[in-house]
Amino acid sequence: MSVNTYDAIIIGAGHNGLIAGAYLARAGKKVVILERREIVGGAAVTEEIFPGYRFSEFSYVVSLLRPEIIRDLELPRHGLKILPLPSTVTPMDNGDYLAAWADHEPTRREICRHSPRDAEAFDEYSRVMARAAKAIKPVLSLVPPDPSSMSIRDMLGLLKLGRYAKSLSEKELYRIAKLVTQSSADLLDEWFEFDPLKGTKSASGIIGTFLGPHSPGTAYVLLHHYMGEIDGAFRAWGFAKNGTGGVTAAIAASARALGAEIRTNAAVKQVIVKGGRAAGVALENGDELRASVVLSAADPKRTFLNFVESKHFPDEFVTQIKNFRVRGSSGKVNIALSGLPDFTCLPGETPLHRGAISISPSIDYIERAYDEAKYGQFSKNPYIDMIIPSMIDRDMAPPGHHVMSCFVQYAPYDIEGGWDDQKRDAFGETVIRTIERYAPNIRRLIVGKQVITPKDIERIAGITGGNIFHGELLLHQLFFLRPAPQWADFRTPLPGYYFGASGAHPGGGVMGAAGKLAAHEVLRDWR
Amino acid sequence: MAHDIMVIGAGLNGLVAANYLAKAGKRVLVLERRAMAGGQAVTEPLGSGFGVDALHAGGQLRPDIVKDLGLAMPPTSSDPLLSLLPDGQQLRLTADADARTIESIARLSGKDAERWPAFVQFMQDAAGFLDTAYRTPMPRLPHVSLAEGLPLAKLALNLRRLGPRDMFRVIRALPMSALELTEEWFESDVVRAAVSAVAVHGATLGPMSAGSGYTLMHNWLNRGGPGHQRVEGGIGRIAEALVSALKARGGEVRLSADVKGIVVDDMAVRGARLASGEVIPASTIVSAADPRHTLLDLIGAPELPPHFVWEAQSIKMRGSVAKVHLLTDGNHGLPSGTLVIAPSVRHIERAYDAAKYGQMSQDPYLEITTSGPVVSLHYQYAPYALRDQDWGQERAVLERCAVNTAASVAPALKSSIREITSLTPLDLERTYGLTEGDLNHGQLILDQMFFMRPLPGWSNHSTPVEGLYLCGNGVHGGGGISGASGRNAARAILKR
Repeated sequence: MSVNTYDAIIIGAGHNGLIAGAYLARAGKKVVILERREIVGGAAVTEEIFPGYRFSEFSYVVSLLRPEIIRDLELPRHGLKILPLPSTVTPMDNGDYLAAWADHEPTRREICRHSPRDAEAFDEYSRVMARAAKAIKPVLSLVPPDPSSMSIRDMLGLLKLGRYAKSLSEKELYRIAKLVTQSSADLLDEWFEFDPLKGTKSASGIIGTFLGPHSPGTAYVLLHHYMGEIDGAFRAWGFAKNGTGGVTAAIAASARALGAEIRTNAAVKQVIVKGGRAAGVALENGDELRASVVLSAADPKRTFLNFVESKHFPDEFVTQIKNFRVRGSSGKVNIALSGLPDFTCLPGETPLHRGAISISPSIDYIERAYDEAKYGQFSKNPYIDMIIPSMIDRDMAPPGHHVMSCFVQYAPYDIEGGWDDQKRDAFGETVIRTIERYAPNIRRLIVGKQVITPKDIERIAGITGGNIFHGELLLHQLFFLRPAPQWADFRTPLPGYYFGASGAHPGGGVMGAAGKLAAHEVLRDWR
Repeated sequence: MAHDIMVIGAGLNGLVAANYLAKAGKRVLVLERRAMAGGQAVTEPLGSGFGVDALHAGGQLRPDIVKDLGLAMPPTSSDPLLSLLPDGQQLRLTADADARTIESIARLSGKDAERWPAFVQFMQDAAGFLDTAYRTPMPRLPHVSLAEGLPLAKLALNLRRLGPRDMFRVIRALPMSALELTEEWFESDVVRAAVSAVAVHGATLGPMSAGSGYTLMHNWLNRGGPGHQRVEGGIGRIAEALVSALKARGGEVRLSADVKGIVVDDMAVRGARLASGEVIPASTIVSAADPRHTLLDLIGAPELPPHFVWEAQSIKMRGSVAKVHLLTDGNHGLPSGTLVIAPSVRHIERAYDAAKYGQMSQDPYLEITTSGPVVSLHYQYAPYALRDQDWGQERAVLERCAVNTAASVAPALKSSIREITSLTPLDLERTYGLTEGDLNHGQLILDQMFFMRPLPGWSNHSTPVEGLYLCGNGVHGGGGISGASGRNAARAILKR
């Protein structure tokens, strides 16, 4: 048994753990980042599942990664290269399609082809949403103040928030209040009439949630996805060179360059508590590491219920964490293809193949997909968001061949009777059959297929419940309530133990804000 | 002008507002399109003429209103909520730790029985907070004036006084779903479902919809517990008490006075035009009708700013409640109480699913109340906007489904029926003037509450038209039988 001493130990080398570690190393701290798997990246990994075919296994697009993190950690110098994901296309049942680009004008023209009324509304809608996203964005980089606290810091935080609110216009404030509480269906019905347009837009309101587009609160998730920003270009989505693993590889390289140590195959068994403080961690292999600060970038359940004995936390806190909702609702099907699938609405190879292809013909389609999941089944006609990374980055597949990433919703973690191989196969088959309706030749092109259920996300990436955001983006799990009231400031009831991952404010996506904010709070306490 | 203020609609909110205004010395004229006062809170002859509480089986005015107005209220009694289960068993819920309630829950789960008193306490705290919130004028953002800020600060203080644990419990529960909320308290699905039935009552939401935690608090507040407050002699007596109090204060109620339009000149109210063609001049009008009807029909889009019209059009109404009343020979075999057929959370949710797609639930969530030989069925969900049928054809299906569902737990019911009469959402609109059949004049959803009710920026009861105010269920404090929005509106008007 060996004992090593550090200033800070980070649990988990996903993007948040790596970012937190990098920031602490940057401040001169001696840091070790521990990863249970043999590779770093967490849910942002690229793996060669089939020889020659590389997949962004879980998270597959980049947009939310905070620009200041890219700058601070000099990620481009460490190999980060983001390629634009230029478009989204929604195949329609009549053989036509609806396309959307990052640019407003061509999108407007395209919408006009289907509905002149919606094209007109689209101008104002885009302005309103962009303004709302910009207005709410600063809140994401804020440590949520505790409204029950009388501390000077929290009071100042509330005051600052109030002052910020006052700086917004009346219209903006109401728009935000509505967006935070509305359903995405209600929001979109107010603006548009064309079903594929509403369906596709509503889809970003349900990603990673266990809600349908008619559920209140989904408009906020839609807005959350609206806040994407790449290199200052607002609302752009991108794909990392070498897949999403390319992002975490760059962060890891930056962390190492700043002096952080990264250990893989180092699964944490328990946080060591001495004298009421976190004092280090014990690994599964028996090693013990000492540090005065332990920061967990694992999900809230493992962070608070597995790594630390409940006796170190107040009962109410343990109950709150137990009640934290982490129901996984999405799966992934990664397909190796011997050629490009021929979409009925997009014959041959077109520039639109470089973007996303969304199976979301209407809000009702997605809502019905949700209905099945509510009652413990995967959707028979699921929402699918496909991209073909090999169209953007030719290195992802052998020449002439392709890889296709399909994000699928809904696939409930708690499927009736539990997930098994048979159900996984049936789920994979459902996805292929759904795609076949729009690209009839796809089945013949399949060289290999990896089907990932929420249970697999939990098993492989270590996210309890398999929820891609480590906890659903529900209103009662946001801001000062994430992951639990009074503990949204990245601290925990156990002194020396910090929490900085997607389950903390401001939540999921490859965003990195939680890791960065948590590192800042650690440094603040150090002073 | 013989009056200072005209009130449109003699529902409870209209009458409460009128009373507060009259009490402050205003001369008030109330116009009611029907031949009786009461609005939704009416006891009236239906079908061949049997008397029944047509829409609401129970209700009560907020106690502060009764006190302020010195009303002589009819006696009421608290119903237990009885969930009738397919196996003939019953679950009994009351807002106390009554031994029969605890014993009834314990048959399903000992743990749940133990937690019930704490849950009731939590619900009373939550309802208490909501009651205060409904009394607090909502500010216009972002420039909160001192006059608005003080009551708001009081509200916040009220909340903080609960202590951090309960304060966060209440805040968290607002956007939660009834299922999420009840899952945190109870393990029995039957208990969860019975509480969820209270949550979705009157709302076009399912127990899995976010925000049904809020409607649970709201309905709990209005009912004072899980079951209804039944009014002895019928709910119509509340309106009678309000009318006689108003008359004693010098106010006037004109029945069968159907307001077809509000006369506006230069963005200011000039009077009301009746169906008969008569124009009654007025410089201040308080409308207890729903905001969409008031703004878009009575005023009309051309008179209003375009953005405001768009917002008013966007108010979500979508009622999905129907009523089926049965006159029986008295041998229906039903116990007394607020009876629900909501055996599982999934049962209610599946019933709601139909409404999402514009269909009537074939297997509804039903609330049954009896009054002598009359059996009243509250049917959810029966969406106003049917996608493939119309209410002309669907009435028969509604009546059949309602009776069959009720009969599944009351075998003697069918043979006891002498007469069936029903109110579809379309009837609610046509007869009772409820746009889209929405009892709440606008869904009780999170984006239509507090400072966003009826419209963002207009929760102070005023409108862009000078002299026009709103006081019905569709404004802050409103929803259900409580009179809170009528009280709030009158106070706002008197402050001017």
